Amino acid sequence: MTSTSPKVSPFLEPGPYTRANSLAILQLSRDNLQPVYLQPLSGDHDGYAEGAVVNTRYGSFPHSTMIGIPWGSQIRASKVDTGSRGRKRKRIAGDEATAGQPETPGSNENDAETESASRPDAASDSKKGLGEATGFIHILPPIPEIWTMSLPHRTQVVYTPDYSYVLHRLRARPGAVIIEAGAGSGSFTHAAARAIYNGYPTRAAKRKGKVISFEYHEQRYHKMKKELSDHGLEGIVHLTHRDVYKDGFLVDGKSPEADAIFLDLPAPWDALRHLSRRKPPQQSSSLSDDDGANNTDQQIKEDDSQWVSALNPKKSAYICTFSPCIEQVTKTVSALRRLGWVDIDMVEIANRKIHTVRDRVGLHLPIDRGVNCSPKDVEEAMAKLTEIEDRFREHSRPKGTGDDMDLADDEPATNGAGAMVDGGDVDGEVVPSTQAWMDGRLVTRGEPEIKTHTSYLVFAILPREWTEEDEAAAAAKYPCGAEVKVVGSIDKVSRKKERREMLEQQGGNRKARRKERDEKLA
Amino acid sequence: MHSVIRPNAWVALKLPSGATRVIQVTPNTTISLGKYGAFPANLILERPYHLTFELEDKRPDENFSRIRVVPPSELYAEIFADEQSPGCSTPAGEATLPILNGEEYSVVDTESGDIVAQSTLDARQTLTQEQIEELKRDGTNAGKNVIAQLMLSHTALDQKTSFSLAKYKLLKTKKYIRRFQVLPIDVPNFSHWQLEERDANKIMDIRAEMMALVGCWANVHYGGGDVFLDDPHATSEQGQEACPSVQPDLLKGRWLVMDDTCGLLVAALAERMGVLSPPDSDDEDSEETNRVTDKPAAAEKQEKPRGEDEGLSEATKQGSDTEMVDVQETSTKPKADPKPKKQKPRPSDFAIPYSQTNTITVVHGASQPNLSFLNYWGFDYTSPNHPPHPLVSHLMTLSWLQLLKPELDTSYSTPPLTASAETLSSWKPSRRGNFHRKRRRYARIRHIVDSTRAGNFSGMVCASTMDPISIMRHALPLLAGGAPVAIYSPNLEPLSALADCFSVSRRTAWTSGVVADVADKSNEELEHWPGNDEFPLNPTLLLGMSIQTSRVRRWQVLPGRTHPLMTERGGSDGFVFTGWRAKPAEGKVAAKGKFKRKKADDVSAVDSEAAEPADGLKRKIDDVTAADSEAAEAKRRKIADATAVDLEVARAIDAPA
Repeated sequence: MTSTSPKVSPFLEPGPYTRANSLAILQLSRDNLQPVYLQPLSGDHDGYAEGAVVNTRYGSFPHSTMIGIPWGSQIRASKVDTGSRGRKRKRIAGDEATAGQPETPGSNENDAETESASRPDAASDSKKGLGEATGFIHILPPIPEIWTMSLPHRTQVVYTPDYSYVLHRLRARPGAVIIEAGAGSGSFTHAAARAIYNGYPTRAAKRKGKVISFEYHEQRYHKMKKELSDHGLEGIVHLTHRDVYKDGFLVDGKSPEADAIFLDLPAPWDALRHLSRRKPPQQSSSLSDDDGANNTDQQIKEDDSQWVSALNPKKSAYICTFSPCIEQVTKTVSALRRLGWVDIDMVEIANRKIHTVRDRVGLHLPIDRGVNCSPKDVEEAMAKLTEIEDRFREHSRPKGTGDDMDLADDEPATNGAGAMVDGGDVDGEVVPSTQAWMDGRLVTRGEPEIKTHTSYLVFAILPREWTEEDEAAAAAKYPCGAEVKVVGSIDKVSRKKERREMLEQQGGNRKARRKERDEKLA
Repeated sequence: MHSVIRPNAWVALKLPSGATRVIQVTPNTTISLGKYGAFPANLILERPYHLTFELEDKRPDENFSRIRVVPPSELYAEIFADEQSPGCSTPAGEATLPILNGEEYSVVDTESGDIVAQSTLDARQTLTQEQIEELKRDGTNAGKNVIAQLMLSHTALDQKTSFSLAKYKLLKTKKYIRRFQVLPIDVPNFSHWQLEERDANKIMDIRAEMMALVGCWANVHYGGGDVFLDDPHATSEQGQEACPSVQPDLLKGRWLVMDDTCGLLVAALAERMGVLSPPDSDDEDSEETNRVTDKPAAAEKQEKPRGEDEGLSEATKQGSDTEMVDVQETSTKPKADPKPKKQKPRPSDFAIPYSQTNTITVVHGASQPNLSFLNYWGFDYTSPNHPPHPLVSHLMTLSWLQLLKPELDTSYSTPPLTASAETLSSWKPSRRGNFHRKRRRYARIRHIVDSTRAGNFSGMVCASTMDPISIMRHALPLLAGGAPVAIYSPNLEPLSALADCFSVSRRTAWTSGVVADVADKSNEELEHWPGNDEFPLNPTLLLGMSIQTSRVRRWQVLPGRTHPLMTERGGSDGFVFTGWRAKPAEGKVAAKGKFKRKKADDVSAVDSEAAEPADGLKRKIDDVTAADSEAAEAKRRKIADATAVDLEVARAIDAPA
């Protein structure tokens, strides 16, 4: 629990530039994202003279070229000797004919001339990478959405369309405390941490937003724990290794005073009894409570007073459970009803990505990927057919032999641009469009594979407890019976009455005024 | 945030019919729910949200209905009964109603002994309209009597299937039961109400799931503790040179917003940044103390607001000039100040009231922004001297003119008035007030414009009726590297046109130097690319762009009757365009992809070989069509300088080649 200054998570405040020893995400291609902890240059690393290096299909990228540059920067590949590390160099230096100049992070002025400069040995020359002529990646700040996209599939991941909606409905705002059971892959944890973040906790007792996370699986717990500390989220997320069905949601025996709960568990109904305002009655008969059956009334009472609710006693608690099967939903909803939750709502979310493409159809178009070389409309089809027909007639003319063939060949050219022959063998003159990005009609279509079902989301709200004493206090503070006005929808009768009264009053005034005036005049 | 219902808070009342009424709970008024009855507002003040209340019968000595809290066991009584019945297949109704196997039965008024209804009458519903009206007027037992008697008087009840019976009962319950629930006005509840019951057009049909997506993709969150610029303590003689200049280092956690949803989007973002609600309801401790002090004031019929009004009107009276005068200006008469605890010295005219962090900057097309919905959260944008509210110091607005051509904007370009202390004291208070007001406005606008033009925004959110391409042209250069962009539109077409500006082929052409205008320009110039027909935007300024849509499908969950709802709101689906601001490297950068052809055995032998750069035009496929095109591209590709790690992957792909 450190104060804000030294280490704020890059998820919460990435700052303007990439930093050493911090998380960054490399965008290799559109959907290929790779998280990387940037390591400062410190001697050889894994055989690389450049220090730590990221090797990708698009080239090699030493970390030193990625530190201290603005987020979102395009990074050129560097010349890195990937093959000979750890063994004798087989190649002669001359092989590397076109090594680039050393690339200084942040300023890439001379890169246009990379080809010209030639260096004998890349590795020994500089510990910094040398610019490659081709290949680049982009470096992105860790944002929960990008992080989620880059996640390896450890467990089922709660993706952005789901968690964004869940957090919205759970009212996860700066300062809220949110319980999460089943930390899983951590995608929800990161998004929730961002949502509730309003500063790192300091010693001043002011309550800050917090994620109280529970994970049952031990390996995943350790992995998550490490991840959280790497990401600087330790002050924001409190992770516990626990079976919440059995042991509930208290933190060190104290209530976390949660405002919202997200349960990504196989049997959320078993965890729900730990999430009520008072000790639920049926608990005494449940399996986990060993001495439950033998309790005398007094014992139960005592138990009740010791029982601590994990919920914020002053606010309504919002819950969401995340279950893939309808049977789980039925059980959960039934349990929620019995425990007094209201506004129970079950939804599922269908998210679709939409791709935009240029739909290029036409005989004019050059043969290229994605081009459909068939007529784009009836006119074009007609022109083509007519032309074929003409040619056919030429051919089938009885007397025609060699000469006619030549004629026929010439014909399309003389026909002008209107009649086109199949794209491949025509000359440049009939391919007017060099701007593939402007051709064709802009169309949209769904992605090739869509996620049709992620999970069912059950939402519910548990109002705060309201006792007789509370009610009496409120009633004393706001006694009723002195109502002066009606707000909201008023029925016709009373509206008319109100109007009549108003008019009467006004009328009376007017009459009175007139009287006054008359008297004055008199 | 919302622990109990505060006096004068806006709340949503949910009625049995499913309708929502949004009202302000003013103490000592009667809240009418139309046909469901009316009750005194004081009965729900300081009570928790989300409880279900039921209107009780009027007591003989009182002229109003009291309300009681309906416990959940009662709310769900029928469902519990269903669950207990074997097989869970019997729907509600049967368990609670007598079995009516053609028996003759009648409903008898307990007091008079009159027969109210008889099953032997011809019509299916034997109660006449008058009788129903009478029952309603007697209105006992929160409408439950009416429902029971309607059920009893239905002659064909035995012919109904159990399902239709359950439906019939539900229908009648919705109509007659006198219950309601109080919900807080937060962004989800408010937008649901606007969308379903009010004018969805006003909020551009933005549904909750889309709002959630926009907020997340734009990475909108608490942007750090408040930082204020030091007060320059400028005297009235100092002009524009005394204005504190923008310090780019301090600017953090700022979001650029275009909002044509009457302020709903701003409210949603402010909620995510923790600046939507006044702090007293936000944190518990001050809440308690505040409540104690507020109590008498609130009980005495809004004493406080009225006092404020008086203060204001008094101020305007003093400055009875043409323009409105800020209360703070009437420094000579401290009694006009509504706040008693005004101990600290007044900030000078050029003190910037805005925080440097955690702010929302709204750019608007009209001369004034439309943020009217913020009124529901106690923030009135038009109010010249706003009572304390977090949005006062975290919301900045400027017009496109002020952003792009500030020199044409009068309020920005006119230098501030100056006057010596003597002249100032010789003026009438009204004139003096105007003088200070204008100077303050100048400093404010100057700060907003300069800090916005300084750029480096943490993200951009847009829900605008304007063309997104034109917005992006001017907004993209203002974003920091890696800053996310999220643009909502109710229609797909504007977004697909925008996405097309960043298409692979456009980007390839741009970077390969085919475009004549581009070749000799520096990155700095290209960031402010003015756009032409072929390249409306600089296609290298945005990464990972994608368009998506989300749709929530609601389900009914009842024992034995679980299924998706039969109908839902249609209309526009809503789409979100997302991406991240990129900082392209200087000079020509070719992508890897197409390589100089090498012999096949070379590829397998590269194991110990370092890379050899290839020349010619390279291409990198990282765009929308990636899914299908990448495989095709990969086949053509010759991996010349694959690294040892990559080689296996590459081989797998390249196998056919």
